[in-house]
This record gives sequence, C-alpha cells and structure tokens, in this order.
Amino acid sequence: MNRTELTEKLKEIIKPYAANTEAHENLTEETDFIKDLNINSANLVDIVLDIEEKFDVVIDNADMERMLDVKTAIEIIETKLAAK
Amino acid sequence: MIGNDIVDLAQSRLESRWSRKGLIEKLFTPTEQQLIKNHNDSEIMVWLLWSMKEAAYKIYNRQTKIREFSPQKLICSLNSLNDTIAFGEVSCLQNKYYTKTVITTENIHTIAVNDFNDLNNTIEIDVKNKQIIKDQFGIPYLKISSSIFKDISISHHGRYEKVVTFQ
Repeated sequence: MNRTELTEKLKEIIKPYAANTEAHENLTEETDFIKDLNINSANLVDIVLDIEEKFDVVIDNADMERMLDVKTAIEIIETKLAAK
Repeated sequence: MIGNDIVDLAQSRLESRWSRKGLIEKLFTPTEQQLIKNHNDSEIMVWLLWSMKEAAYKIYNRQTKIREFSPQKLICSLNSLNDTIAFGEVSCLQNKYYTKTVITTENIHTIAVNDFNDLNNTIEIDVKNKQIIKDQFGIPYLKISSSIFKDISISHHGRYEKVVTFQ
C-alpha cells in the first residue's frame, strides 16, 4: 500500500468522528485531528481502535500518545506495516 | 492553575461506545478498570474518570506545553464518591492534581487544581462581555486589564459550555 492509498484509507476511518466536515474533505498530512477536524478527544481512541482493526496492527501507548495528526498517524501505520 | 472538563451524557451516548472491545483497556489503567467494573453504574464511572483525566491534562498542558494523547499517564484515584459528587487525585509523572466532580443525570463536570485548598476557590463564569485570549499554544487566559491575565479553563461538550477560573 503506497502513501496515497494509506492516506485515503485513514481519511475514511476518521470521517465519522470529524465534526468539521469541510476540513475533513480537504484533509492533508498537516491536518490536526483536534485543532482542524474538531474531533472529540474521547473519539481519538476510536480512531486508534479502527486503525488496529482495518490495518491489522497493534498500536501501543507510546504510539497512541503521538497520534494527534494525519502525518504522525501515517508514519506510525507505515512503521507497523513494515514490521509485519 | 486550573482545568475543567464537562461530559454531556446525552452527547457521549451518541458519539461514544465506551463498551466497545478494547476501548477501556486503551484509556484506563488496570486499577481504574477495576473501579469501572466494580461500580454499580459503569457508564458513570467511565465518564467520571475520563473527565478527571481531561481536566488534569489541561493543567499538565498549561504547565508543560506538551500536547499528547496519553490517557494512561494520567492516573486517577478517588478519595470520596457518592451519587452526586466525587473528590479525587490525578497524577501525571511527578505532577499531582486534585479534582472535584459534580455528577447529575445529564452531565459530569470536573474541576482540577494543583493545590487541594484551591478547590474551594474556583468560580464558574459567563464569558459574555469578557475578553479571552489564547497564547501560541492555544492556552486561554481571561484578560482583566492590559497587563493582568488570569488562568481560565473552557470546556464544551454537547449542550454545555463551562468556563472556570479562580475567585
């Protein structure tokens, strides 16, 4: 899976939680989950669980800690996929 | 310093499925998981502990400027709890915060402070006609005059917005 495909897949995962639909529509790697998409912090864990299910990876606490924007999320998923 | 967090229970029922597989294990320490399991209303305990973590995180973020999603680093303990009010502590690394939570059938609201005695010193305010500014980290302050700024914490969820500061 290349980076564009991965970003698209992540964008789909995030969609139900993004209160700002316009910012979600225009999502880039620089998009911040909370500041830009107005995702409720309680839903960040849902995104982490969805990523685990959809990509069949395990996200530990140290990775989850940094998962506040698209770019970091992609980098974490890429690292996990490469290690499989 | 001060932090606060409100959970609108009607809103959380719409947007969060706290009983989802794996969710509790990601957000809460094993000791906190036991509190949730053993409480007669697990939903209330989930959002009580969550609002304690969020309120404490707001002080941690104000102190350190660190932004992170690290719910298990904010470790909650309860000193007293009844149907309407809870007092507790949240520790995060070397920091310790004291919390007071008011529980109603509609919402759960926690205020966190650094010094236990400050819990009696907080006040909810109306932001109308008030000037609130944010620094480069997004941390809010209440402007009293051109040179005086007070710590303020803002939380909104669903139907509610709570703004708290010191008296």
